[in-house]
Amino acid sequence: MLRRVAIRMATGALTLLLVTLLVFGLIQLAPGSPLATSDDGLTPLSSADREALEAYYGFDQPLGVQYASWLGKLARGDLGTSIRDRRPVLDKIAERLPVTLSLNALALFFIVGLSVPIGAAAALNPGSIADRWSATATYLLYAIPVFWAALLLQRLFAVRLGWLPLYGSGGVTGIPRVANMVLPVVCLTYGGLAYVSRFVRTNLIESTRMETVLSARARGLTRFAILVRHGFRLAAVPMLTLAGFLIPALFAGSVIVETIFQLPGLGWLFIEAAYQRDIPVLLGVTLISGAAALAGILFADVTYALADPRVRRG
Amino acid sequence: MASARHWPAALRRGLVLVLGLSALAALAPLWLDDPLHIDLSATLENPSAAHWLGTDALGRDLTSRVLHGGRISLGIGVLTSLFSLAIGVPLGAVAGFRGGWTDAAVSRLIETVACVPSLLLAIALLAMSPAILRGVPDVVRVALVLGFAGWIPVARYMRGEFLRLKSAVMVEAARASGASDLRIMVRHLLPAALAPVLVTASFAAASAILVEAALSFLGLGVRPPQPTWGGLLSDAREQIAQGWWLAVVPGLALFAAVLGFNLIGEGVRDLLDPRTCQLDKSGGRP
Repeated sequence: MLRRVAIRMATGALTLLLVTLLVFGLIQLAPGSPLATSDDGLTPLSSADREALEAYYGFDQPLGVQYASWLGKLARGDLGTSIRDRRPVLDKIAERLPVTLSLNALALFFIVGLSVPIGAAAALNPGSIADRWSATATYLLYAIPVFWAALLLQRLFAVRLGWLPLYGSGGVTGIPRVANMVLPVVCLTYGGLAYVSRFVRTNLIESTRMETVLSARARGLTRFAILVRHGFRLAAVPMLTLAGFLIPALFAGSVIVETIFQLPGLGWLFIEAAYQRDIPVLLGVTLISGAAALAGILFADVTYALADPRVRRG
Repeated sequence: MASARHWPAALRRGLVLVLGLSALAALAPLWLDDPLHIDLSATLENPSAAHWLGTDALGRDLTSRVLHGGRISLGIGVLTSLFSLAIGVPLGAVAGFRGGWTDAAVSRLIETVACVPSLLLAIALLAMSPAILRGVPDVVRVALVLGFAGWIPVARYMRGEFLRLKSAVMVEAARASGASDLRIMVRHLLPAALAPVLVTASFAAASAILVEAALSFLGLGVRPPQPTWGGLLSDAREQIAQGWWLAVVPGLALFAAVLGFNLIGEGVRDLLDPRTCQLDKSGGRP
């Protein structure tokens, strides 16, 4: 078991190294003279900015040396300094993180909190009206682009009804007020329902076909009791693997949602950096989001190995 | 393969949506005004006989803008899907068929690119405007950038398919008659895996259309005044208190296109996987 976890961690470390290589490759697309000119209407960099970039990335050195010295800086937590305000990228990311984390944690909470009952109701009677309607409804929700939903919800609840603020974080620094979080959380949540509730349904149906469940039926347990006692325990393990898929998707969603609702999180920082061609910030956030997703996948895999006795002993 | 009448409902509905939208978009220049024609005497007009879906803040006809936008959105969807297939199919096929080190290398690559959210990757690539993308038309530029991450699900799915197919009896037969690995993969396995290719192609198109719209919405995709669905929704943000049609119509078009491609993907999967068909009919109990 330990061996298994160790191997997984080692491949994870390799992937992390490859993620840094991918980001390093992105840097290589931009450096040197291409930074000075721009044919797409974006502001070109000043010579001072370019020199700062060149000093940080060491563009005058051979590629291998550049990569190694950049990795060394990363290991010390040095992600470079923002072109915009010359503050360390890591500081900028750290101050924006609480908003993004609270937004995503709430969204994840509601996705799981709603999908489990929906999936369970569907699994209780596969093919029933409840099953088919929940499948259709969540499927339609899944195809609604998040920025369209945001636009319509803003129109309805902020402009027409005036119940919720249009955008902003309610004049507080750090984590926004509850009223300011309602629409963003709704926007991040609805799209995940289809995928997760189907996943819950499939896994519950699979697990209730096992022999333990057959024997429970033979003992006269109701279908509902079986679902609660056995189904969830058996289905909980595969559901962990979802974390690995949900984290990148939620992060991409929060880029759009934070920008529309002007919540000062990582996603908005990223978009600002894209508009201002603040390359160190852009790449810093890309790297952090990749690392976060990888951590999610590894966490899921390791917990999976720990939770399933068959995997544990293997 | 069953005749069209026996196709799954999802496939038929998806085809109606996608082909209908494509036909309307393709024929748009023939019967609609110039989508860039500004008429300041008719701004933010309600839907009427002259302007079926009303006009925007500059008096441009929304019907024309939505359908011309559809040419770009659908075009980028199809183009991205082709790029994704061009990378994903060979990589996934070789990884699944060869196994061993090849598989390990491709799987690591897939995991690496999959870690970084594709929207972020696309935005970073577009914002840096690398030299290789200079001077490339917007549509191709966006499609290339989207294809850069879009091949991941294709490769994953193909890897699984080829892993399953490689133990088929026909592979052994082909090998016994002296066929090379490449020949087996191209001549024998690829036709057998055609359905998965179609399935992933339509899912790839759906997600490309969504991401492209997000990029245009954020002002990083195809540039104005060229109408795109994402760009039209971004314009609608400025008129938040008026002109409901400006926010509803482009969104509906986008929704229909994404739903259509998703339905086609799902339908083809059901059509070629008899297991899921039966599962549905017997209410989830095979």
